[in-house]
Amino acid sequence: MSLKRTIPMTTVSGFGVSAVFILTILNILMQNMPSNIYRAGDELLKLNATDGVANSVTTVVVYFRGFDTLGEIAVLFIASLGIGLMLTNNNLNNISQENSNFMLQIGAKLLSPVIFIFGLYIMIYGHLSVGGGFQGGVIIASGILLLLISSNGFHISHKFVEIFETLAGVSYVVIGLIGLIILDSFLGNFLPYDISKMGLLLSGGIIPIIYIIVGIKVGSEMSVIVDNMLKRNIDD
Amino acid sequence: MMSSIYFIALPLLFGFSVPILSKFGKNGVAYTSLILQLSLFLLSITLVLDLTTPIVEVIAISPPLGIALVSDNVSMFFVTIFTFFTLVLSIYYMGQRENKKYANENKFFILLNMLLASAIGLVLSSDIFNIYVFFEIAGISSYILSSYEKTANALEAGLKYLLTGAMASIFLVFGIFLIYLHLGTLNLALISQNFYTLSIELQLLIATLLFVGFGFKVEVFPFNLWVSDIYEGSTPLVNALFSSIVSKAYLFVFFHLLYLFIPHHNFTDFLLSVGVISMILAEIVAIKQTNIKRVFAYSSLGQLGLLFIAFSMQTSDAIIAGLYILLAHSIAKMVIFLSLDSIINKYKSEDISVLEKMNSPFMKWILLISMLSLLGIPLFAGFVGKFLILKTFGIAGYFGIISAIILASLIEAIYYFKLIGLMFKNTEKGDYMEISILQKSVLLLLTISILFIGVYPFILSDWINLASETMINSHTYQNIILGVQL
Amino acid sequence: MIETLLNFLNQEEVLQVIIVIGSMILFFIGLFGILTQRHFIKIFISIEIMEIAIFIFFIGLAFQKGKTAPMLGDGITKFINMNDPIPHAMILTAIVIGMAVLALGVSMAIEYNKLTGITTIDKMNGLKN
Repeated sequence: MSLKRTIPMTTVSGFGVSAVFILTILNILMQNMPSNIYRAGDELLKLNATDGVANSVTTVVVYFRGFDTLGEIAVLFIASLGIGLMLTNNNLNNISQENSNFMLQIGAKLLSPVIFIFGLYIMIYGHLSVGGGFQGGVIIASGILLLLISSNGFHISHKFVEIFETLAGVSYVVIGLIGLIILDSFLGNFLPYDISKMGLLLSGGIIPIIYIIVGIKVGSEMSVIVDNMLKRNIDD
Repeated sequence: MMSSIYFIALPLLFGFSVPILSKFGKNGVAYTSLILQLSLFLLSITLVLDLTTPIVEVIAISPPLGIALVSDNVSMFFVTIFTFFTLVLSIYYMGQRENKKYANENKFFILLNMLLASAIGLVLSSDIFNIYVFFEIAGISSYILSSYEKTANALEAGLKYLLTGAMASIFLVFGIFLIYLHLGTLNLALISQNFYTLSIELQLLIATLLFVGFGFKVEVFPFNLWVSDIYEGSTPLVNALFSSIVSKAYLFVFFHLLYLFIPHHNFTDFLLSVGVISMILAEIVAIKQTNIKRVFAYSSLGQLGLLFIAFSMQTSDAIIAGLYILLAHSIAKMVIFLSLDSIINKYKSEDISVLEKMNSPFMKWILLISMLSLLGIPLFAGFVGKFLILKTFGIAGYFGIISAIILASLIEAIYYFKLIGLMFKNTEKGDYMEISILQKSVLLLLTISILFIGVYPFILSDWINLASETMINSHTYQNIILGVQL
Repeated sequence: MIETLLNFLNQEEVLQVIIVIGSMILFFIGLFGILTQRHFIKIFISIEIMEIAIFIFFIGLAFQKGKTAPMLGDGITKFINMNDPIPHAMILTAIVIGMAVLALGVSMAIEYNKLTGITTIDKMNGLKN
């Protein structure tokens, strides 16, 4: 009986405390709206005009803050490794043993080439327009997901994907180390980049190359994650 | 050409290239990892010996805009500790590898090296968002390492760690976003110069967010209720990593940011009380534990509380004491957790009575020495730090803190002597415990270093004094970073 | 009528207030979910809501009215009067990291559930004092 009486009291007091808490934080944030100060990004935009890449977000992601991106790739790599560790080698029934419906099968066959080409385009043109390696890689992985859920015969070989994954990861670090040797700065842009070629596919030195590598890495990692989560493949 | 970037790039390269390395026979990955760690340790030694002025390693563009790695005295102190302990742990693992090999061993080596890279990155990086990225790499490797054995307990430990870690990273990233919105920079030196220009409520909000974010990882009082569960669920080998490397890296980054952003002693009292509460509470709870991993988990928490107290003072004397305690604690916990790994594997029990069953005079003496060092008995490494911290607080007149530290040491003595009594009890022992020569030499090396530092602590004093000077002085740090042009 | 409303909403201060209030409501919904829900998946969803709320907060406030997207094309040939590209890069990194941690967490929860049959954190007490 005492329990019944205390529940409303705790609820009310909890509600009151949290309301005060929320209002305090909102008050602090409202009184300190960010002004239009001169930020590091504005300085980077100026610098960006000298490196020959049309999309400055790409330059920031791949070049100016390329070290973060390397770390991010490492996080994705470790997560994929951990998911593989957690979800393999347990004799599970495959979840979608029965055939998926006819519309999905035909639709997947029609759509998947388009999705792959779209993903590749987004990946390769990441330094000229919106998009880039992450987005393209995820689109390709989504195409593989579509194929995996639509047809029973389709499966991806982890050994095959591993080749791409390894090559992409290794070449990212190796490109960084070449920059260290040539320019004395890790991930330095050691290939020639001509500002007059800005807007062309071959421009910006190592930036598009690294973004394509990132795309391959993200695409293969995400495909492996998706495949592990569907638990089709126990050949690892 | 020597550069501090190798500390991060080479472990990542190793991690990515494991599928290739595994083609070179069944020992390819293990030996490459060992060689890598040996060379990183040698690199850190050479860098430390060469270090006259701080070195700023520029990545892509020069610091106020880009990311840079700063190797000064204090960060190289930590890097040397981390590379040394990872090397020691690898050698120890190689010693038991023939008898008890981990399933999916290659993945263990990847995670070990990633953890090393991220701990070093946390210490070296001079960009706050880059620190967040390394924070996450360290976090995600630790979650997987905790649940590496895939038993129910291991997975529970990993899940608890992951849930708290995800919460922590949200608060941390919120703080970083607020900093960028209001100061327009991510560089630690520039933030340090301009942090005081923010309004006082905003400073408080950002400090709180960063405190919550790092608090989960530094394992201080309101956030450390889950830590003992993680230590219990993980294998002792992984606990050795957490206790000697990961928590130390987070601790350093937390106080590094504190000294840079808030160099005035605004929060000293608050942080001191947090440290005292977490120390006393952990030591009290440790007494009634029956699981041996849990006892040492709470003892680690208590020592971290002591370290927190030492670093919260924000004076160079207290930092010197803190660095001595940190070194002694890392070595002793490394010895204890490595030997526990062998003991638990041998006798298949995690109860503290396993020490009674243990039949190995060598292990007995090794454990005795490291426990006495943790207690702070004279002539062992732990004594120097405890003595210096009592002296510092005595001079500053904080007698409440002194009595709290002495009380904590007394409580610590109760359960350590209980364990020591169990070890030296004359009861029927179990089977004789074989230890391979490699493992024996690793433990012997660590124990000798405990005794050596205890008897002759002044061999390190130059280095530690320089380190504490570098750590406390935010102006030097600003000048180092902002003075660099590529 | 609609035009005055739109003009009112188009002021930078109003936009910022809306973003702050909206994202903070989302943030506290997530926090509430973490504190009250017990099911693994619900907790992961709450964590994700909190994360997204902070991303909206950041990208919304970093946006400056009247400036273009930070890339060339569509007749823009110079890098002037553009929005700051760093927040985009930071959010991109943070989203990928958040997703990776979440995927790992879900797979751990699945494996834990398979071993023990437990789906809520309050029953998760194999390790205790």
